[in-house]
Amino acid sequence: MKPQINLKKTALDVLITSGFVIGAILLSFILKITDNTSASAPMIFILSVFLVSRFTHGYIYGILASLSSVLIVNYIFTYPYFELKFTLSGYPVFVMCMLVVSIATSTIITQNKQQEKTRIESEREKTRSNLLRAVSHDLRTPLTAINGACSVMVENDDFISKEKRIKLLNEIIDDSGWLIRMVENLLSITRIDAENARIVKNQEAVEEVVADSVSKFKKQYPTINIIAEIPSELVIIPMDVILIEQVLINLLENVVIHSNTATEIILSVNIMSDCVEFSVSDNGDGISDDVLAHIFDGYFNKTYEKNGDTKRSMGIGLSVCNTIIRAHGGTMSAKNKKSGGAIFTFTLPAGEE
Amino acid sequence: MSYNYSIVIAEDEKAIRSIMKMVFEANGFNVYSARNGSEAMMLITSKCPDVIILDLGLPDMDGFKIIKNVRQWSEIPIIVVSARSLERDKVNALELGADDYITKPFGTAELLARVNTAIRHSLSLKAMKKTDTQTEFKIGELTVDFKKKRVLINDEDVHLTQNEYKIVALLSHNAGKILTYDYLIKNIWGPNLQSDNQILRVNMANIRRKIEKNTAAPEYIITEIGIGYRMNEE
Repeated sequence: MKPQINLKKTALDVLITSGFVIGAILLSFILKITDNTSASAPMIFILSVFLVSRFTHGYIYGILASLSSVLIVNYIFTYPYFELKFTLSGYPVFVMCMLVVSIATSTIITQNKQQEKTRIESEREKTRSNLLRAVSHDLRTPLTAINGACSVMVENDDFISKEKRIKLLNEIIDDSGWLIRMVENLLSITRIDAENARIVKNQEAVEEVVADSVSKFKKQYPTINIIAEIPSELVIIPMDVILIEQVLINLLENVVIHSNTATEIILSVNIMSDCVEFSVSDNGDGISDDVLAHIFDGYFNKTYEKNGDTKRSMGIGLSVCNTIIRAHGGTMSAKNKKSGGAIFTFTLPAGEE
Repeated sequence: MSYNYSIVIAEDEKAIRSIMKMVFEANGFNVYSARNGSEAMMLITSKCPDVIILDLGLPDMDGFKIIKNVRQWSEIPIIVVSARSLERDKVNALELGADDYITKPFGTAELLARVNTAIRHSLSLKAMKKTDTQTEFKIGELTVDFKKKRVLINDEDVHLTQNEYKIVALLSHNAGKILTYDYLIKNIWGPNLQSDNQILRVNMANIRRKIEKNTAAPEYIITEIGIGYRMNEE
């Protein structure tokens, strides 16, 4: 794979180099014929050397272009025409100019590229360490609770009543369930190719994804009333179905975990001109403004952690949703409804991009 | 309780293996657990269990090999355990003859339910082979009349097209079992159709609009996302 890419790059560079040099020859010829002078030829060739250095990789093409330009200018565009003569006055200066232009340009370009690369790298590193910090933080709370509950039961086995034990065990089930869901979320991100943020999409029927997400959600939270409104015609769009299901379930769970008063969730799908819009709305107490501002970058900003209960922040879940939707080429938003309650909306492009 | 079902559990992670063992023993199973593929093969051939739970990620042997091997001489139901993100593995396992799959991490109640379904299913299959083939399939308001080739909802014919009927009939014959997209396409359209799920999707959407009350919450034909379809049993 790699040699092929390198070969392609080399071929492209050679093409660019010869293109600019030939372009310079043609332009000089046209000027020579129309104006009957070759005074501007060296200028045109210096420009072409500059352009070659700018658009190719490494120094070699720029130097090649400058050397060939020197020869061509000497041979075609300086008196005596169509004859090589190296004893002209000012000739060494011309050669020096060409070489300096090409080497200087290549150096600047290479440096720039290097800087850009380090910048992207450090950005990525920053994101990664932020995520890692948030994850460790989010893991610690439930793990401490599980550890504590187990120790209490082991150390006080003789004094703990049955009800108390069942209560502790149920807390352990809740906490470990939450941990499992978070790990699933993190695994979802690994499905997205980190380098290009690309995913493998298949044509999927929207109604099947919605139905499956709803039924999985209902299994876990049987008491919440959920209404799915889907278009009457069959809608098939490209997506990574596992990831989109994760998004839908995250959004549904988010309602249960977050809005304490919600009793009903509406999941609706609408067909727009070039995309399909999914929305999850509830009749709970909505989202406060300071949370809303950072809702999708949860793990970068933990400022809204006022109650100290990180379990309810759902930070990772929503930012995972956002990452997944963006990788699909869609958009995601959250707002409060005028009638009360929150609404999360995301779109997926309808066709291949 | 005169007869205890026997089960072979092939799972390399100790914690999960011992939890499964506990769950099945508490529910009256004879449990044989294996840490790797060769142990599992030995137990399967010597104990001839009623059901097998097989983790696809065993250290020493490819899980698919075990399925193939077992299917050469037996119809023992096999339930495959696999991670959520590996749909391709699940499809392969089902196509090689596994009966069902369960996704890690799973709840013990779900696991028990899957195993019981698989056992019931294999028993009814054995019974069916002895008598004649089914003449009709009934669930809720849905009736599939195999003799007259009709599908009825509340005793009203829903007028399926020929292919739509074939799909429903195939799923009903295998009620409770997942049929993969490829399996359905090969059986309905023949082996030459390019494996394109689109045509199946469109047919399924039409069937659902005819038999289901709400296509967003189907009662009869369940979608196993990324894998295939399953007809509900009860």
